[in-house]
Amino acid sequence: MKRFKVRWPIAVWLIFIGFCVLVVSRIQVGADLNAFLPGTPTSAQRLLTEQLRDGIVSRLILIGIEGGPTEKLAATSKQLAYRLRKEPAFMMVNNGEKGTLDRDQAFLVDNRYLLSSAVTPERFTAGGLRDSLENILQMLGSPAGTMIKQVIPRDPSGELLHIVEGFAGQAQPALQEGVWTSDDGSRALLILQTSAAGYDIDAQQHAVELARKHFAETIQGAEFAGLKMRLSGPGVFSVEARDNIEGVAFKFSIITAILVSGLLLLVYRSWRVLAISLLPVASGALAGIAAVSMGYGVVFGVTLGFGITLIGEAVDYSIYFFTHLSPGRPPSKALKNIWPTIRLGVLTTICGFSPMFLADFPGLAQLGLFSVIGLVVAVLVTRWVLPNLVSEKFSPVAPGLLADRVIAVIGYAPRLRPLVYVAVVAAVISIAMHREPVWSDQLSSLFPLSVEKQQLDQSLRDDLGAPDVRFLIVVGGKYREEVLERSEAVGVQLDKLMSRKILTGYDTPSRYLPSVKTQQIRQAALPEERQLRSNLKQALTGMPFRDDLFEPFFREIAAVRVQSPITLDDLKGTNLGLQTESLLAHYDDGWRAMLPLRGVTDKQAIQHAFGSQDAMVTLLDLKNESDSLYDSYVHEAVWLSIIGALSIIVLLFISLRSARRVADVLLPLGAAVIITLAVLLAGGQELLLFHLVGMLLSVAVGSNYSLFFDRESNAATHDQDGKLTMVSLLVANISTTIAFGMLGFSGVPVLTAIGQTVAMGAFLSLLFSAVLMGGKIVNET
Amino acid sequence: MSVVPVIPVYSAEIEQQVTPWTVRELMHNLAQVKHSKATFVERKHFSMLKEPLVFAGTLLYTAPGKLEKYTLVPKPESILLDQDKLTMQSGDNGKQRVVSLREYPAIWAFVESIRSTLAGDLETLNRFYKVSMEGRGGKWRLILLPLDPKMRDMVVEIRIAGSNEQINTIEVMEAGGDHSMMEITKDDS
Repeated sequence: MKRFKVRWPIAVWLIFIGFCVLVVSRIQVGADLNAFLPGTPTSAQRLLTEQLRDGIVSRLILIGIEGGPTEKLAATSKQLAYRLRKEPAFMMVNNGEKGTLDRDQAFLVDNRYLLSSAVTPERFTAGGLRDSLENILQMLGSPAGTMIKQVIPRDPSGELLHIVEGFAGQAQPALQEGVWTSDDGSRALLILQTSAAGYDIDAQQHAVELARKHFAETIQGAEFAGLKMRLSGPGVFSVEARDNIEGVAFKFSIITAILVSGLLLLVYRSWRVLAISLLPVASGALAGIAAVSMGYGVVFGVTLGFGITLIGEAVDYSIYFFTHLSPGRPPSKALKNIWPTIRLGVLTTICGFSPMFLADFPGLAQLGLFSVIGLVVAVLVTRWVLPNLVSEKFSPVAPGLLADRVIAVIGYAPRLRPLVYVAVVAAVISIAMHREPVWSDQLSSLFPLSVEKQQLDQSLRDDLGAPDVRFLIVVGGKYREEVLERSEAVGVQLDKLMSRKILTGYDTPSRYLPSVKTQQIRQAALPEERQLRSNLKQALTGMPFRDDLFEPFFREIAAVRVQSPITLDDLKGTNLGLQTESLLAHYDDGWRAMLPLRGVTDKQAIQHAFGSQDAMVTLLDLKNESDSLYDSYVHEAVWLSIIGALSIIVLLFISLRSARRVADVLLPLGAAVIITLAVLLAGGQELLLFHLVGMLLSVAVGSNYSLFFDRESNAATHDQDGKLTMVSLLVANISTTIAFGMLGFSGVPVLTAIGQTVAMGAFLSLLFSAVLMGGKIVNET
Repeated sequence: MSVVPVIPVYSAEIEQQVTPWTVRELMHNLAQVKHSKATFVERKHFSMLKEPLVFAGTLLYTAPGKLEKYTLVPKPESILLDQDKLTMQSGDNGKQRVVSLREYPAIWAFVESIRSTLAGDLETLNRFYKVSMEGRGGKWRLILLPLDPKMRDMVVEIRIAGSNEQINTIEVMEAGGDHSMMEITKDDS
C-alpha cells in the first residue's frame, strides 16, 4: 500500500505523457502565414486574409534559370515548361513561348464583338465605321501595319485593337530565343500557378518538389552543366520557412541539449541523473505542444521553434532540485525549503504570459499557452516525479565544493553597485536619444525569411515586370452574374480614372468574361446584314480599300448576332481562362471578383473613388492593411506585456507583503531589461514583436533568481542550504544563457530575437541580483 | 532639291559572295555618320488596297540610336525611335502611342534593319538577319533575311541600297506579296 502511495505520481505522469504523445502524433503543423493573421478580423482584413491564403497572389511560383548562355537557358525553359504542363499540380505554366498564346489570341479574335467595351450602335453607323477605317489606314502605314493587316478584312471597326489597348500597363518580360528572359539574357523566367491554394503547404511543397525534380531531369547531360534553378513566391516561402524553422528547431535543440547536458554532467557526474534531469523539460515541451494542438487545431512552426527555448528555462527546476540533494537529505525532502520560492517563480511566469492568451494575434496566443503549460508541467514533474526516480543515497559532489567559492564571488559583487547605476542611467539616456524607428514596421519582418530570399523574390519580380500588387478592388455579390455586372460598372469608373492618368491599367474578370447582360447589349448593337453593308459602303466612299475586302466581316457579324453568350467553358484551356478563374472566385458566402490595379499614381483619387461607396465594392490597399495589422499586433503585444508586468507586481505584493522586498526583487530585473533594450537598439536592431516576448521571458527567468536572493537575504539563518541555492542559480543561469545564446545564432529572425534578448536579459538579471542583493547574504553568513 | 532615286539593277551575274570584310568596311563607313537629315518618299503596296499608299516627309538620324520620322503627306504623323522606345503620334488628334520594342519582337527586328544599318552596327543586324552584300562602295546593296521564323511570317526580305555612306532606298518584301519602297534623299540644309 505504501509502495503504491509513493509511486502514484509516476503513474499519473506516465498516463499524462501517453496522452500527450497521442495528441502530438496527430499534430498539424500550420502555415506560418496563418500565425500572423488575426483571429477576429475586420472585413478588409478578412479579404486580405483570403488573398494571402488562397488568392491569385498566393498561388504564384516564380522560377529563374541561370548559369549558362541564353540558348541553353531557353532550351531548358522550354523543356521544363513542357514537362510541368503535364502535371495537374499546376494550373498554369507560362514561359513566354508563342504556342501558349495562340489559343488566347484566337479567343480574343473570335469573340471580339462580345468582349469589346467599344461595341455600341454608333460604332457601326457609316460615320463610326469611317472613323475607324481612317484610323486603320493610318496604322497600316506605320511599323505596326504588318502585324495588324491580316485582321483588317474581319475587323474594320477595330475591336481587337481596342481590346489589346485594355491590356495597357501590363509589362511584359524581355523575349529572347523565344522565351521570357531577364533584359541581359542571363536568366530565363517562368511563372507557374499552382492548382492548390497557397495555404496548403503540403500541396505547395509537392509543387516545389515537382519543379525541382523536372528541372533535375531536364538538365541531365554535360551540356547543361552548371545550370541552376531559383524559386520564389509565397508558397515557396511558406515551404522553406516551415522546413527552415523545423530544421533549426531540431538542430538547435540537439546542440543546446548537448551543451546543457555537458554542463549538468560536470555537476552531477552521473549519466542516469542527467537523463532524469531532462525529464521535466521533455514533459513540459510535449505538454505545451499538445495543449496548443488541442486548443488551436494547428501548431505554427514559430511556436514549435519557440519550444526549444523552453529547455533553457525548464531545466532550471531540475537543477534546483538536484543541487539541493546532499548527504542526509533524501530526494523527497530536497525541495522542501525552497519549494515556496520556486512556486512563486512559476506563478510569476504564469502572470507574465497569461495575458498573451487574449492576443488577437494567433502566433502570440499560442506562444503564451505553450509557455505556461510547458513550465507548469515541468515544475510539477520536478516536484512530484523526480524525487521518486532518484536513489535515496544520491547527492552531487560538485555543488558542495563550489558553494564557498560562489559565496566569495557574491561577496565581491556589491562593489559593482555604482557601476550598475551608471549603466542603467546611460541605458535610459541612450534609449531616450534613439532616433531611428524602434519597431520594425512590416508584417513581413515576422516571417522567418532571410533578407537574401526577399532580394531574390524582388529581382525575379523586376525581371518579370510583375510588381507586387498593392491596390486591389474586391467586388462581392451573391451570384456570379451579379458580381460580373458590378465589376463592369467599376471598370467604367476605372476607365475614367485611367484617362485622367491616375492609374495605367487594371485587370478584371469581365474583360474576358463579360456578364450575359452586357454580351446581349453588345449583340443588340450589331446591325443586321443589309444595314451593315449599306453603312460600310457609305463609309468606304473615297477610301482605297478593295470593294470585296470586307466579306468576312459581314459573315462574322451575322454569326455573332445569333451566337449564344460566351461562358467560362469557352475559356477553358487558355491562359485568359486561368486568369479569369483566378480573378473570380466562389466563397461560402457568394462570389468575389478581384480587380488588381496597375501603376497607381494618385492614391487619394483612388481612395476617393472607391473608399467607402458601396458595401460590395471594397478597395484594398494590401500594404496599408498588412502594415496596420502589424501595428495592431505590436500595440496589442505592448499592452499585454504591460498587463503581464503589472500582474507580476501585484502577485509579488500579495506574496511578499512588503513594498521594500517587492522593490528589491524587481530592481535587478528592471535594470536588466533596460540595459538589454538599450544594447539591442544601439546595435541598430529594429525591434520585432518577439524581442518583447523575449523580454517577458527574461523577466520570468530572472524573477527566479531575484526571488531566491530575496529569500536568502530574508532567511533567519544562513546555512549550507543557502549556499547550495546560490550554486544552483549559477548552474541554471549558465544553462539558460547557453540555450538562448545558441538560438541567437539560428539565423531565423524571430528565434534570433528571442535568443539574444533572453540570453542577455537572464545573464544580467543574475548578475544584478548578486550586485544589488548579494550583500546581505554574505555579510550575515 | 530633287528626289533622285538610285535603283540598283538586280541580276544573277553580279550577285557574288562578298567577303565579310566588305560588309565590315561598309558598316565602318556608315558608322562615321553621326547625324543626318533626309527627305523621303515611301510607297506601300497592299493587296487589300486598290492603290498604293504614298507617304512623304523627313527623316532625322542621330547616332547611335535615335531615329525620327516625320510624315507630312498625306497626314502629319511622327514616329520617334529612341533606344527601346517607339513613340507614335498622329498630328491631327494628338493621340500618342508608346511601345516598348522588346514587347514586339517583329517591330523591333524591322526597325533595327534601318537603325542598325544607319549606325553601322553589324552585330545587331546579325542578331536579327542573315546579312549579305552586293556591289561595291559606290553602289552597294545589303540584303537582310530575317532569322526569326515569327518575323519571316511577316517580312521575307529587306533590301537596302546606297552609295558610299548614303542610303538611297529601302525596300521591304512582306509575306503574301505586299511590298514597300522608300526613297531617301539627303537634305544638307
